[in-house]
Amino acid sequence: MIYFDNVTKVYGKDAVALENVNLGVEAGEFVFLVGASGSGKSTMMRLILKELEPTSGIISVNGVKLSAIPRRYVPKHRREIGCVFQDFKLLPNKTAAENVAYAMEVTGQKRRAIRTRVPQILELVGLRDKLEAYPGQLSGGEQQRVSIARAFVSQPPILIADEPTGNLDPDTSVGIMQLLHRINRIGTTVLVATHDKEMVDVMRKRVVALEAGRIVRDRVRGVYADEV
Amino acid sequence: MRSDNLGFFLAEAFKNMRLNLLMSVTAVTTTAVCILILGMGLLVDAHVEGIVRNVGQDVAITAFFPEDIDQERIDEVAASVEGYPEVNESAYVSKEEALERFRETFAEQPDIAGSISSDVLPASIEIQLNNSSDSSAVADRLRAEGFQDDEIRYPQQTVDRLNQITGYLIWGLRGATALFFVASVLLIFNTIRLSIFARRKEIEVMKLVGASDSFVRTPFVLEGLVQGLIGAIPAALLVVWMNSLFVGWAQENLPFFPISSGAVNALIVLLFLLFVGALVGVAGSFFSVRRFLKV
Repeated sequence: MIYFDNVTKVYGKDAVALENVNLGVEAGEFVFLVGASGSGKSTMMRLILKELEPTSGIISVNGVKLSAIPRRYVPKHRREIGCVFQDFKLLPNKTAAENVAYAMEVTGQKRRAIRTRVPQILELVGLRDKLEAYPGQLSGGEQQRVSIARAFVSQPPILIADEPTGNLDPDTSVGIMQLLHRINRIGTTVLVATHDKEMVDVMRKRVVALEAGRIVRDRVRGVYADEV
Repeated sequence: MRSDNLGFFLAEAFKNMRLNLLMSVTAVTTTAVCILILGMGLLVDAHVEGIVRNVGQDVAITAFFPEDIDQERIDEVAASVEGYPEVNESAYVSKEEALERFRETFAEQPDIAGSISSDVLPASIEIQLNNSSDSSAVADRLRAEGFQDDEIRYPQQTVDRLNQITGYLIWGLRGATALFFVASVLLIFNTIRLSIFARRKEIEVMKLVGASDSFVRTPFVLEGLVQGLIGAIPAALLVVWMNSLFVGWAQENLPFFPISSGAVNALIVLLFLLFVGALVGVAGSFFSVRRFLKV
């Protein structure tokens, strides 16, 4: 589903973010991408979204080489990938429902479909009572639920989350992870970048560890760090 | 863009304006000032040109007889002028009549009126033409009769002189208007860009959830269009209103200046100013958003 083939990304002249990264994520997998800040997790996420171009190497997502996607088809590519960010990235001037609806509006879906689907998905993430609340009126965990609802509303085959629990307390984080787990169980490929050790250890999913831009470990039912 | 999206885009545009009220007010005010300046420039230009054109439409030629001419020759010339095909009618003005007119003109300033004797003013023949465009041809015929260049007064001469005097003035005005206009367009662009810069995070989010460039841009461009129009409408109306005030005032107080309401087509000026306002708003938004779409 997501393939990195010998990918290197250098920012500016000599700030190496990723070095010769090879990674394959199959359809339906749940993968944790772990590592310290600056190890290259976010860079991988942004490369998958084609927000950045790799310095060298080939990335393919959903069977398409990203380098072959012309600029005007990038929005279409992004609609295949739901994404969740550490800082939620909700539109502050829109209610929870409008934020979710926006992701459907950009794909040109019928207003009728939007009206029925948005409350459904918000109910699914446990925010049935907060449809008309603005992001500023919601707690961090609630905002992240809205952003997951937005990422998943069009049922994309892939969902990527960059530090989804980074701003949340442990209890709230459990809820968010459970949500991501449920989304994965209905067949969505989920890639989560995190340094939330507890969460990774509890979930026992595939763990890919990055260190200074290199993949140093890849375990099928892994933990955050191998026991020393 | 699907047409049923228009409602969505318009709703977005108006919502954005409400939420960014201060920026919207700034953009609208700047546009209004810009359109006002442009409109004023257009008016001054139109009226100066109107005066010049009006003088050119004068269908009279005056030819002055030299001092030493005898009555026989005068009659001869008068008869041949009557025969020109371009001439509607002609009238001989003797030295005495010229003096009489001069005294009438300066009736309220007896010092000037009394200081002139009938010898000073030349006799002349005043010729009314059928068509002002024939003035040069008639002037040529008069030269053939023996008149010197400085003995003939005809509209084209006046027009040429007026053009000479007003030429620099008009171009100076146009230059100033253009400079002001460019400055205010840049100001509008900057205002719009500031308001869009404040929302660049939103644009980034929109792009990340898969919005196409045009989907993000359309509400901004509509916003620019509405702001441009809101700014331009009062400014354009003010310009047209001030024009009618000016024309009325000039006709009352400056009767010897041929200022006419016909020099300015109010409707065309109005539409032109509205168009410029809308265009500046649309272009400003379009180019400002474009910079932030590269996500």
